[in-house]
Amino acid sequence: MPPKVGVIANPISGRDIRRVIAKANSLQIADRANIVVRLLAGLAACGVEDVVMMPERGGLAGHALRQMAQSAVRGNARFPSVSFIEMPVTGTAADSRIAAKAMSAMDVGAIIVLGGDGTHRAVAAECGATPIAGVSTGTNNAFPEIREPTITGYATGLVASGAVPKEIGLKPNKWLEVRIDGGPAEIALVDVALVSQQNLGARALWRTETFRELYVAFADPQLIGMSAIAGLIEPVGRDERHGLMLRLAPASVAPLVVQAPIAPGLVEPIGVEQWRRLPAGQPIAPDLAAGSIALDGERELTFHSRQNVSIRLVENAFDTIDVAAVMRFAATKGLLRERNKACV
Amino acid sequence: MTRKISFKTAINEALDLEMTRDPSVIMLGEDIVGGCGAPGEADAWGGVLGVTKGLYAKHGNRLLDTPLSESAYIGAAIGAAACGMRPVAELMFIDFVGVCFDQIFNQAAKFRYMFGGKARTPVVIRTMVGAGFRAAAQHSQMLTPLFTQLPGLKVICPSNAYDAKGLLIQAIRDDDPVIFCEHKNLYSAECDVPAESYTIPFGEANVVREGKDVTIVSYGLTVHRALDAATTLAQKDRIEADVIDLRTLSPIDWDTVLESVEKTGRLVVVDEANPRCSIATDVAAYVAQHAFGALKAAPQMVTAPHTPVPFSPSLEDLYIPTADAVVAAVGKTIARAKAA
Amino acid sequence: MSNNPFPLSSEDLMRAYRTMRTIRDFEERLHVEFAKGDIPGFVHLYAGEEACATGIMMHLTDIDRIASTHRGHGHCIAKGVDVHEMMAEIYGKATGSCRGKGGSMHIADLSKGMMGANGILGAGAPLICGAALASRFRGDRGVGITFFGDGAANQGTVLESMNLAAAWNLPVIFVVENNGYAESTSVEYATAVDSYVDRASGFGMPGVTVDGMDFFAVHEAAGEMIARARDGGGPALLECNVARFFGHFEGDAQTYKAKGENDYNRENRDCLKIFRDRVCDAGAATRHDFALIDLEVASLIDAAVISAKNAALPQARELLTDVYVAY
Repeated sequence: MPPKVGVIANPISGRDIRRVIAKANSLQIADRANIVVRLLAGLAACGVEDVVMMPERGGLAGHALRQMAQSAVRGNARFPSVSFIEMPVTGTAADSRIAAKAMSAMDVGAIIVLGGDGTHRAVAAECGATPIAGVSTGTNNAFPEIREPTITGYATGLVASGAVPKEIGLKPNKWLEVRIDGGPAEIALVDVALVSQQNLGARALWRTETFRELYVAFADPQLIGMSAIAGLIEPVGRDERHGLMLRLAPASVAPLVVQAPIAPGLVEPIGVEQWRRLPAGQPIAPDLAAGSIALDGERELTFHSRQNVSIRLVENAFDTIDVAAVMRFAATKGLLRERNKACV
Repeated sequence: MTRKISFKTAINEALDLEMTRDPSVIMLGEDIVGGCGAPGEADAWGGVLGVTKGLYAKHGNRLLDTPLSESAYIGAAIGAAACGMRPVAELMFIDFVGVCFDQIFNQAAKFRYMFGGKARTPVVIRTMVGAGFRAAAQHSQMLTPLFTQLPGLKVICPSNAYDAKGLLIQAIRDDDPVIFCEHKNLYSAECDVPAESYTIPFGEANVVREGKDVTIVSYGLTVHRALDAATTLAQKDRIEADVIDLRTLSPIDWDTVLESVEKTGRLVVVDEANPRCSIATDVAAYVAQHAFGALKAAPQMVTAPHTPVPFSPSLEDLYIPTADAVVAAVGKTIARAKAA
Repeated sequence: MSNNPFPLSSEDLMRAYRTMRTIRDFEERLHVEFAKGDIPGFVHLYAGEEACATGIMMHLTDIDRIASTHRGHGHCIAKGVDVHEMMAEIYGKATGSCRGKGGSMHIADLSKGMMGANGILGAGAPLICGAALASRFRGDRGVGITFFGDGAANQGTVLESMNLAAAWNLPVIFVVENNGYAESTSVEYATAVDSYVDRASGFGMPGVTVDGMDFFAVHEAAGEMIARARDGGGPALLECNVARFFGHFEGDAQTYKAKGENDYNRENRDCLKIFRDRVCDAGAATRHDFALIDLEVASLIDAAVISAKNAALPQARELLTDVYVAY
């Protein structure tokens, strides 16, 4: 049976307040649709005939289908057939979670995610053992890598079809779990930031004087967002077994100041009081008594002094497709070439 | 001090004087500066026909070249007027009103009434009207009746430089929205105009020639055709015409028209607009209703035909009411009277 | 009241709630009174979208101007237009905001910076560019806000105005109240590029989408945009995703909506409930504090309806007045 691949494309990622408080770009819906079409072309090239997508009302699927139909009219199109999961559309992150769960249950070979850290977080939380491949369309992205989507489509198709073995094509990822009063875990793929501001407001983080604690699963000095603060202090790889935790303070009173790119085009002095490695598996109780918790840069939870917060770094939480490794393997093994019998 | 200047210079002078007098006067329009942001002179054009030339040098950023977005900038002028400014917006050709009419007739014209008398919208929309420029169907119309139809708007259409200056200054000082129509074929016409500031009140027609036999009512360019006709009539037929230049179409000076018709008993209306529901029909109907007893003959109308403005000069010349047509119309009123 | 984690004072929190509650009660009451047949003409209710008007208007003073829509009652109330006068206007009475000559779709109070509800979709956008231009010439730091729906966002006036505002760097905020329906037609059907933020990108201005049912999200995003515009940072677009609890107009059977949609939205997306729960949970106010406001507002609306019903109709001579300042 030919492999089936899921696509979860969030039509509304990257429209948050970072366009005003920073210089974040805004990827237009037609460009997002174009990314989907490029992915589909890559998937088709590797033998994927069936793609199941998350339904949405942002116009993305409509644009993608129109682009494919236009290509078909010109006779130069080769795309998988596209179907949509039957589910109610709310236009919120809940859609991504529901779709991920449904795709995982229907045994797709992989799920391709278009969106920012938030969309990837929603999918990772529900995808179980199904590997994901990320395409960055958000703003403050640290998790998904920036890559030509046609190639992501290729690699995903090669893994989903079994042409490239999982030991080669997949890599494990860490995540951070946050629990309040022992409740259900909320996860972050990159960073958990505790800020003294006890309201969610427009979600993004930019009032640096409120930054208090930062926990990161990995820290790359090439990336932006809250994890950049850690990345500029002590880089931690995605494949290393620990994370990093930092205590932050207003830059005017902190012993160490980092000029950190906390959002696109927004470089701010961030005060760091101390930092240390965050070991996997151990729950950590933060010092901040009350405030809000940002998961991958978005304020999602508030807590007060009577509540207990715990944060834990988890290893091998979910798998992602290692596009670079897959493509190198495929090329080396000659999976993408064939002899032209007419020329023999 | 009085000198001979052109209609165009008179408009420029009125704008200059009012901008100097009142800091709340600003100007918006396509190419009114004419070169903003371009590599050459900033005010290369000063209006597509140079009417606003030189004002940018004196008043700087109070003149705003606009994007080619009539709805946006005419609307912005109206919004600014409702917020206490006195904007003079230029709609390059009245024909372009199609793309911004809503802002004029649903917004500006209605604010005061709709808001229970609480709004003032002192905006002036200057616009070129009329045929004879070989500019064809979409740059040549006399659309004055579109605006006189609408309560809330004032509509002005001067026939000479003196009136243009005084009426424009009045329009800028007026607290209501004013559509100020400038006939492009009058721009170079000169007459004596005082250098200083003066106003001409709205609703006062000008009797430009006095006579006892027939009343000829007109406005804009065709006032001159009416005057030519009156000269011919006097020379050839010893018919003396009262020639009335309405000057302002809304408000309109009914008293002067009625007074004249009561004296002459004959009415000819000359209007460059198309014939149906025009200034011509309006004047004729009003006179028929209010001075029926004084009429010795049926009122006559000399208008453009019920067609778009043609391009070819030979056709366009047939389109515009001529002095000969006015003479012929007067002839009909005399002949009818004699027959009776 | 000691624990207030919100970026508004306790007084402002309560003021915001009072505004939202006043809008809600005003609209719910009009819904009832309209059904009785006492209210002439068209009425378009704002119920459901209160957080949008209120979250934005909390940042404005009378020097700032707004241009509203046919669905304008909420904008009027949030901008400080007198509720008694509004109600009387909707009843067509001489004591109305516009002395009975405007009605629901034309309520205005220029002294409050409210440049009018508007019966023409998208017509407010050019006007507010003019208001912003006037503020710039006067140097009063005023900001202009133009509201329009997902339907009117397709009007040329809106797009022209976005270009004008961007080209001239005017202090204008374009607020799309996206309730998913242009009258009865869905956004998905009628709008080629469903994201209104994409429109902003097309004109080189920042665009932000927020949950318009979340007062705090609207308040924070609008606050940043308005402050930026006030400082000369230029225009921006705010898309508020909202739910319209009633039909396009009163009398609309709303059969184009999904079954249960209104119930779902009232149950799960009610901006008043969300606000109250969040403030109470944080300990910044008590249920009792809110209940007191509810009572006050209920009696205000009662009084407004009674006085509107009892007010005199305009005199016949009013037909002919106020067409011109002088004619």
